[in-house]
Amino acid sequence: MANQNHDTGTKRRLAGSKLLSAAAAAALCAGAGTAIAATPKNALVMAWNIDAISTFDPAQVGEVVTNEILQNTCDTLVDFDQTDERKVVPGFAARWDVSADRKEITFHLQKGAKFPSGNPVTAEDVAWSMHRVVKLNFGNAATLTEYGFTKDNIEQRIVAGAGDTVTLKLDKPYPTTLVLQGIAANRVSMIMDKKTLMANEQGSDLGNKYLATRTACVGPYKLTRWNAGESIVLEANDGYWGKAPALKRVLIRHVAEPGTQRLLLSQGDVDVARDLTPEDLRDLEGSKDIAIEKVLRPQLFYWGFNVADGPFSKEKVRLAMRYLIDYDTLGKTVMTHLGVPRASFAQLGAVGALDAKEGQPFKLDLDKAKQLLTEAGYPNGFEASVLFGTLPHANPIAQSVQQNAAKIGVKLSLERMANAQLFSKVRGREYQSAMLAWQTGVPDAHGNASRLVFNPDNRLEAKQTQYPSWRAAYQDLELNKQIDAALLEPDTAKRDALYAAIQKEVMAKGPMAFMFQMNSVAGVRKDLKSWTWNGFRTYYERAAK
Amino acid sequence: MSRTATAAPGLSSDPGRTILPSWLKASGRTLVSFAVTLLGLAALTFFIGRLLPLDPVVAVLGDNVTQEAYQAMYKQLGLDQPLYVQFGRYLWGVLHLDFGMALTTGKPVMTDIARVFPATIELASVAIVIGTSFGIPLGVLSAMYRGSWLDQIVRVVGLIGYSAPNFWLGLMGLVLFYATLGWVGGPGRIDFTYEFDLEPVTGFLLIDSLLAGNWEMFGNAVSHIILPASILAFSSLAYISRMTRSFMMEQLSQEYVVTARVKGLSWARTVWGHAFRNIAVQVLTVVALSYAFLLEGAVLTETVFAWPGFGRYLTNALLAGDMNAVVGCTLLVGVIFVTLNLLCDLLYRVFDPRTR
Repeated sequence: MANQNHDTGTKRRLAGSKLLSAAAAAALCAGAGTAIAATPKNALVMAWNIDAISTFDPAQVGEVVTNEILQNTCDTLVDFDQTDERKVVPGFAARWDVSADRKEITFHLQKGAKFPSGNPVTAEDVAWSMHRVVKLNFGNAATLTEYGFTKDNIEQRIVAGAGDTVTLKLDKPYPTTLVLQGIAANRVSMIMDKKTLMANEQGSDLGNKYLATRTACVGPYKLTRWNAGESIVLEANDGYWGKAPALKRVLIRHVAEPGTQRLLLSQGDVDVARDLTPEDLRDLEGSKDIAIEKVLRPQLFYWGFNVADGPFSKEKVRLAMRYLIDYDTLGKTVMTHLGVPRASFAQLGAVGALDAKEGQPFKLDLDKAKQLLTEAGYPNGFEASVLFGTLPHANPIAQSVQQNAAKIGVKLSLERMANAQLFSKVRGREYQSAMLAWQTGVPDAHGNASRLVFNPDNRLEAKQTQYPSWRAAYQDLELNKQIDAALLEPDTAKRDALYAAIQKEVMAKGPMAFMFQMNSVAGVRKDLKSWTWNGFRTYYERAAK
Repeated sequence: MSRTATAAPGLSSDPGRTILPSWLKASGRTLVSFAVTLLGLAALTFFIGRLLPLDPVVAVLGDNVTQEAYQAMYKQLGLDQPLYVQFGRYLWGVLHLDFGMALTTGKPVMTDIARVFPATIELASVAIVIGTSFGIPLGVLSAMYRGSWLDQIVRVVGLIGYSAPNFWLGLMGLVLFYATLGWVGGPGRIDFTYEFDLEPVTGFLLIDSLLAGNWEMFGNAVSHIILPASILAFSSLAYISRMTRSFMMEQLSQEYVVTARVKGLSWARTVWGHAFRNIAVQVLTVVALSYAFLLEGAVLTETVFAWPGFGRYLTNALLAGDMNAVVGCTLLVGVIFVTLNLLCDLLYRVFDPRTR
């Protein structure tokens, strides 16, 4: 009996191994086909780390991945000019009128448009979409409240009028272009399907939970599938009022590992890889199949100081720190393709920004740094900590600064942590210094001046946590006044001059040593035509094969 | 009293205590132990999660948020309540299979787990089949031919399996078998072309494609899973073969083996028919533990292969401060380990009569 069992077992094992061999052979045969497969002709296929997506509600979204997807699925009133982002072009608003006192802007909307649900797009939808942003009061509400809109006045200040018009009534004569860039081209003006959202309202959330996993708006594409941490599918919106996209589908696969993205791109299994490392990009330079596309975006990577007390409360110490940053070497190594040196808070390409040379006057100069420290009362240096998160370039930059600082007696201890932990510490002013990134939504110097320099109330209990200047415990009342004056200056040349003066002053004494302005970089297969983007938008609908 | 003293086999032989059958008492003890383990795990993870300097409000709203909105969300998440109240509410939810909402995906944690776990089960199952199929025979052969070239090779392979990082092996495997030779599919569970044509039934692509009768899709899914599963199987194989070798060597030094050989039994039959049966229980434990580790999530392998599985979900949740998801996943890992232990206990009874 035992023998029989043994024989049977052997036969089973043999059968099993044959099955395994067959499966392996099938895999190899199937695999041979897939490895050389090209992406579908009618689809744009991207590999991208899309972990950050947690909602599709424009009132709540605060990160670049979802913002880009929403920009391709939800129209805004106006759009950034693709070739010059400082200009705006019509979007869902075909045209607009501005009152003589610059305090009213009336948008004339496209006619006959429909949401993917079949509901007609009305002026009421447009106005309500902006009302809900302020009423929900997530972070994006500040985009409207900084122009005087509040929960109490929003329904009187943003009004749907007759004949498919919507009027914005402003409390001050802000520069019209700034309002168009800051509000009408921003996600806060994305046009939502009020009927659908109100039919799915939970409590009084104005459809916020409904939008956690789907969209309800009008745009060249519609979101048809999202599997968190896996993939996204956008389909062309057949009833779209505007020009139909060239490619019917956009397929985004979540690929967290840059090396894997590079393999997929090289094999032609994706058209675009969005998170390649500088090493990958360097290796792909000169490839006959793959182009490296990059464009400056309005994101700054900076070393921020808590100026509440300690060495960083002294202006000369903060200035000395700027001379410890090896802009040139880092720009040519760690930051190749990823960004360009930039010391001004106003990003290149913004209205009122200093040019590349004036906006980056610093270089590694240990003697100068030592001299400044001596003048500040720290001839023998000091000890301090530097916190940073999971951005891949943060670690090597922090190490470079640490090594330079050690040469003049400044002992910096580096502490890497999860981004959520970093943000919590910085928001709570529980840090000495930190390296992190900040992105503005407008191509105007005011965008960053109003958050990175202006601080309305520096008291700890004021908790103005949405202002990085408050997080740095930095307030300069004179600079506050200058920023207010520059904002409302009607003369363009004078306005530029005001911002130039503010930038120079902040570079000398501000609470942040700006280091690099970041690029958006992608590896794009050359058989994908018309990959089109600027610092504020990526235009999926223009991509073609 | 006399009833218990003369009870039939299977009933308690302790006259002063109970008349419950021993299997019922054992099951009761197991269930209590199961519940206490999970409760302890839930409490530990929950309170550690609350002590960590990760802000769940920032995870939901981002850092660019007004203090007013921050406070509103803080309250909405129940973080303004005392810790014991928060824990009580959480336990109440868990008892109703409600682990709360995942802050980073906006979906119930259970929904997320139901979505990612099949991918991991599928990968781990294929890996353990490969690892066991090769690991046990290699371990036995290595013990049988101790000191031979075969033994040396198995030991070197085991050493590499232990020491080479899966992350590196995965990337090298992709470069060689996917990018250079084109033998296997690339990262992901299936090609994009097929991904959107398949309606998930079980969540296991190999099964769903078969159910759909789509052999081409099945082949594609196999071509995608074979490499990551083999990489994972490599480390399991190393562990299983090494342990099997060790168990078998101990058995082969026993007198009954010599006796069997003296009586004329062949070497193969002595090993497989007698010695192996004596180590089956130990090998089973090793295989079950390996499987549990694979199910727990092979984060790095999942990352390299863009495999949307459980390990990566848990890691992302941890980094984002999404404690609902972290605690839910931790409980699931606990359930996996306890369940596999129970399963082992049951199988012991099958393989080893002494434990019955």
